[in-house]
Amino acid sequence: MKKFIVDVKSFFFTVGEFLKKILTCIKNAIKPIITKIMRYSGLAFLAKKLRLLPNKVKQAIYGLLFIMPWLIGLGLIGIPLLSKSIRMALSDKYYFIAGVGWQITGTWSDFTQFKRIITSEPYHLTQILNTINDISLVVPLVVVFALILALMLNQKVKARAIFRTIFFIPVILLSGNLLAGFQSNQLLTVPAIASGAISSILSDYFPQVFSEIVASAFEKIVLILWLSGVQILIFLAGLQKMDKSMYEAAEIDGASMWELFWKITLPALIPLLYINIIYTTIVYSNLSNNAIVQIINVSSDQNRSLAGTLVDEVNYGRAYSAALSWILFTIELLVIGGYSLMVKLASKRYS
Amino acid sequence: MNSLLHKHQLKKLFLGRRGNDGLLFKIVLYLLLIGISFIFLYPLLSMLSMSLMSVEDLVDSSISWVPRNPTLRHFESAFVWMKFWESFLDSLQVSIYPTIATVVSSALIGYGFGRFEFPLKKLLMGLMIAMFLIPSVLTYIPTTVLYRDLKIFGIDLQLMNSIRAFWVPALVGNGIRQTIFILIFYQFFKMIPHELIEAASMDGSGPFRTFLTIAIPMAAPAFLICGLYSFVWYWNETTLARLYFGSSVTTLPMRLESFIAMYRSMYAQGKVTLDTVSSIYNTGVQYAMTLLSILPLLVIYIFAQKWFVEGVDKSGIAGS
Repeated sequence: MKKFIVDVKSFFFTVGEFLKKILTCIKNAIKPIITKIMRYSGLAFLAKKLRLLPNKVKQAIYGLLFIMPWLIGLGLIGIPLLSKSIRMALSDKYYFIAGVGWQITGTWSDFTQFKRIITSEPYHLTQILNTINDISLVVPLVVVFALILALMLNQKVKARAIFRTIFFIPVILLSGNLLAGFQSNQLLTVPAIASGAISSILSDYFPQVFSEIVASAFEKIVLILWLSGVQILIFLAGLQKMDKSMYEAAEIDGASMWELFWKITLPALIPLLYINIIYTTIVYSNLSNNAIVQIINVSSDQNRSLAGTLVDEVNYGRAYSAALSWILFTIELLVIGGYSLMVKLASKRYS
Repeated sequence: MNSLLHKHQLKKLFLGRRGNDGLLFKIVLYLLLIGISFIFLYPLLSMLSMSLMSVEDLVDSSISWVPRNPTLRHFESAFVWMKFWESFLDSLQVSIYPTIATVVSSALIGYGFGRFEFPLKKLLMGLMIAMFLIPSVLTYIPTTVLYRDLKIFGIDLQLMNSIRAFWVPALVGNGIRQTIFILIFYQFFKMIPHELIEAASMDGSGPFRTFLTIAIPMAAPAFLICGLYSFVWYWNETTLARLYFGSSVTTLPMRLESFIAMYRSMYAQGKVTLDTVSSIYNTGVQYAMTLLSILPLLVIYIFAQKWFVEGVDKSGIAGS
């Protein structure tokens, strides 16, 4: 097996060398032609001017060139989508007429849908509050669990490769539909948690507020573990990139594992912490077990509103779910902002 | 004196010298690792065991794990019903092209954001994250309308009903959850020591050459993460695939979904009889299909995982 790999490697190496030779040949051949084209088309002039620009301007131009794909995407897809979804949320009705297309009615300044949610939908309001609770509880738990699991996988344990393989299985299985299927078939629960044994013990011995939080965390623990696949990988990649000599130096100076974690590991992982907070919030709030998403799914049922009629829209249609989506968006923003701020304040002493 | 020494040794054995080499720590660590592994493996294992059960075993409540009459019949009928090879090729196409587009464009954009300073950078990044936050349910209809007549420089892209609807947006940074990949690349490129890049530009290397020869090799784990994950996400995407492709492309997960829908509607209409159950419409077949639809991912993953560990460990050597 090893010999095979070495063979393959050397094969690719020789191929690479050969290609390099050919490329240099071609380069030398077309170089004079390109310089001529550059000179006559004025590009050479531009390049010369570019070289003379101050470094800052040059950097800015290079940066903009690198993000050019995204800027094109922003203009072509991002901005139109953004404006369309805002307009949808601020409309009376958004409906489909065969042969004509999608229609929008109502002036935007009425805020019809938002008023409707606040004034005439008490049940949906409580669902929104539940969602806020839910997301703000689960997000930090997922991030912390992912960090702990990544640290565990980074230890020198036997059969580390096998554990790693198993720990990333969720990423493959967990893609919305499959997870929902698992949940409905009760493949995601641990029997002791499901029967409520743990939560009843907790409520006997602890104050109610505390026991409720812990109990709901226990209920969700399997889901939390399932959700932390990507985050573990991100943390692990960061851990692997860390400088080993720093740890050795600290160990020689007599630092304990605890100190190593707080003083070296955690500060280095803080940028990744932000990414994971953002990612977890987004994934979790788009999951189909989320209360708001459930309302949206019911009120803008796929099959119905793709060929939605005016009658559907009068009640709860696309416009209403668009307004709900923007509320969900605000919640996500608040959660991400809140936790990022917390991390930022907590990490101030490192800098 | 003797007992004190003894105590000390015991403490050392259990708690270790530095906290992470004691016996106690090891035991807890392994217990946790094994327990969590079990949680992750549980759905897979129970699906496997149920898909191997014969119909009689499925109904029998005394059998929970080990099938009494193991059979491969469910896999056979799932294989035929899904038109496995045909759907498999479709799935591959739907996943590979968008993945390449996603990784290439995310690396470029992440490098642009991570390495260079330009006006409005903060605002643009905020906008990017804000667009990532918009609940995806909201954008289904506007995107389909938009993609139907999307033009770039006057060329009609004809995105609908072809896999272009997946890879063209990915190329301009609008793929499925692509912002997370851009952010990953952003952080990885930011972690590269400044001195290396500066040294390269001192030696007369242009920005693009620096990117190719220094930045990309340093961000190898990011490439692996993004490649693997975007492959998996495109593979498992069914809602968007149905919206964009219509009936022109049918992937394995789409087949699975339509099977479940059919199963449910038959159940709701009361058309489920002993005949239909024993032929194809039972949980065993459903789980067999689920396993078949993720089997290629598992295979790829097991190989990629090997690489991944190697790639990550190698890149770990290069600190500043």
